Amino acid sequence: MSSFGYLFIKEMKQFFANPFMPVVLILLPLLLMLVVPLAANMEVRDVRLAIVDRDRSDMSVQLIDRISRSGYFVFASYDDTYDKAIHELSKGNADIILEIPAGMEKAVGRGENAEIFIAANAVNSTKGTMGGGYLSSIVSEFSSDLSVQGGQGEGMPLRIVPQYRYNPHLDYRLFMVPALMIVVIILIGGFFPTMSIVSEKENGTIEQINVSPVRKRDFILSKVVFYGLLGIFAFTISILIAHFVYGLASNGGMLEIYVSAMIFLVFMGGFGLVISNYSETLLQAVFLMLFFVLIFMLMSGIFTPVSSMETWSQYVTYILPTRYFVNILRAVCLKGSHFADMSFDFIMLSVFAVFINVFAIVTYKKQN
Amino acid sequence: MMGEGNLISELLQARRARRMQPHLMRDPGNVIEVEHLTKRFGDFTAVDDISFEVRRGEIFGFLGANGAGKTTAMKMLTGLSFPTSGSGHVAGFDIWKQSEQIKRHIGYMSQKFALYGDLTVKDNMELFAGIYGVPKNEVSARIDNLLGRLSMSDEKNAPVKDLPQGWKQKLAFSVSIIHRPEIVFLDEPTGGVDPAARRQFWELIYEAVDEGITAFVTTHYMDEAEYCNRISMMVDGRIDALDSPSALKQRYGAASVAEVFDILARGAKRAE
Repeated sequence: MSSFGYLFIKEMKQFFANPFMPVVLILLPLLLMLVVPLAANMEVRDVRLAIVDRDRSDMSVQLIDRISRSGYFVFASYDDTYDKAIHELSKGNADIILEIPAGMEKAVGRGENAEIFIAANAVNSTKGTMGGGYLSSIVSEFSSDLSVQGGQGEGMPLRIVPQYRYNPHLDYRLFMVPALMIVVIILIGGFFPTMSIVSEKENGTIEQINVSPVRKRDFILSKVVFYGLLGIFAFTISILIAHFVYGLASNGGMLEIYVSAMIFLVFMGGFGLVISNYSETLLQAVFLMLFFVLIFMLMSGIFTPVSSMETWSQYVTYILPTRYFVNILRAVCLKGSHFADMSFDFIMLSVFAVFINVFAIVTYKKQN
Repeated sequence: MMGEGNLISELLQARRARRMQPHLMRDPGNVIEVEHLTKRFGDFTAVDDISFEVRRGEIFGFLGANGAGKTTAMKMLTGLSFPTSGSGHVAGFDIWKQSEQIKRHIGYMSQKFALYGDLTVKDNMELFAGIYGVPKNEVSARIDNLLGRLSMSDEKNAPVKDLPQGWKQKLAFSVSIIHRPEIVFLDEPTGGVDPAARRQFWELIYEAVDEGITAFVTTHYMDEAEYCNRISMMVDGRIDALDSPSALKQRYGAASVAEVFDILARGAKRAE
């Protein structure tokens, strides 16, 4: 057995001798995946609606009834004119105005289109946009029902641009859960090896290794490989929870997901080791790691899409390996993509993983 | 084409061999030869132009007050840090270019306990036997032998951090010679333990030396200096005296090594 083997066994024994770390390894994905989606509820309820019904027809009553039955809205006021409704909005009594145009029922009866107007107060932007989203999906549902009832083949009489295609009810869980899976892998893959190597510095055990003939790459790789495997374990817990608790079904292959997770974990491990090479204390290392982890999380499209960022920051995302990992996970989960479709992302991710580990080996000094 | 390929591989092999080959010591009876070794940290000269030799099989005491530069000098000899200037050979290898070769042939016991506290006695022994390349079929025999010598067979599955300080130090020493090195470097090995434990520790050192290992020991306990074959006295980064304890006492007209040290240290400028 090479020194890599002995060091790997040492990492394993140390990890399981510690009463704290194995518990963290299991609790972290469990808590993040089970509690956070329930607590950090992004669903919006009780949106206050001001209605301007200028049609006052059966159809408009039906539409309002359907909105009320959805459970997401409370009716704040019924106004005669848009100006009165806007007044309610500006006073903060309403969040959204729904204006039904005069002659809607007649227009639909003639087979023409009618435009329903929605104005949302975006000061509380989540409430405004999410409420607007619910409203338009209700209207579009209503509209397609009408076209079925009317037997008209040419499409919907009420013109609404359909949105939220992959998540029609805007179920926040479908959005949160994959993001949290990535957070799990970043936390385990980044912090565990960093903490392990810096505590070797603090305890002085690294000096006993540095004065031995152990090759630098064996020492570094024993950490990257062992903590990478732990990351895969935590990731598996997350995938199981996503599947069995939230019913998140993957359209694509597990192979693509796992290969990308492994490459990403090799990157995170190497990255953590680079950080610990430049840190003398655990505190220093954890703060430095936290800084980068926040950038990885906030700028790689985990929570906000890269395409809606400022142009300059979109270019920045190309140097964040998280971007490629997020791309791969999304593409596999939503579109069922295969290796060939994502070769660019896989290549970039691998380039980063190799580069950072070489850098970790070079910057690790046994002698100074 | 074939010939060319062979030529290149021969050249590479020759280069490799040259790199691996120990440089000849000036005197084959020496295991350490150091000339004009200096280490500066900014304006501060921690080790100031020291030169000395250590003979094979002796116990060499490296004495000095705290902050005299003992640990810094030892780190340069063990390949943990580069000198600022000067040259040195340890076990026949150059401290500038062959530090990884040196590391195969030395053992090192740090001032601070540096075994893995959360691992057991046996795990630590297996780990270091493994990374120093002790042949697999010998490992368990050597471990049993060391455990027997330390009378720690019953504690072999105890986590190292739970052992008393004196035991930890004896264990650290045993682990540092598990691969039977040519030289073992001991940095203040007996700090913080009672006189009985210190005597037991020195018995272990004598046993190792009887097996042919050279011991290089730093200490600031002057009574321990009497156990050494030769001692050097380091003051303010320089070696002010180097000889056997009896010769030094005679030269300075002193009754003990401690008295010799007091005479030399009077000139010291660095505060403790």
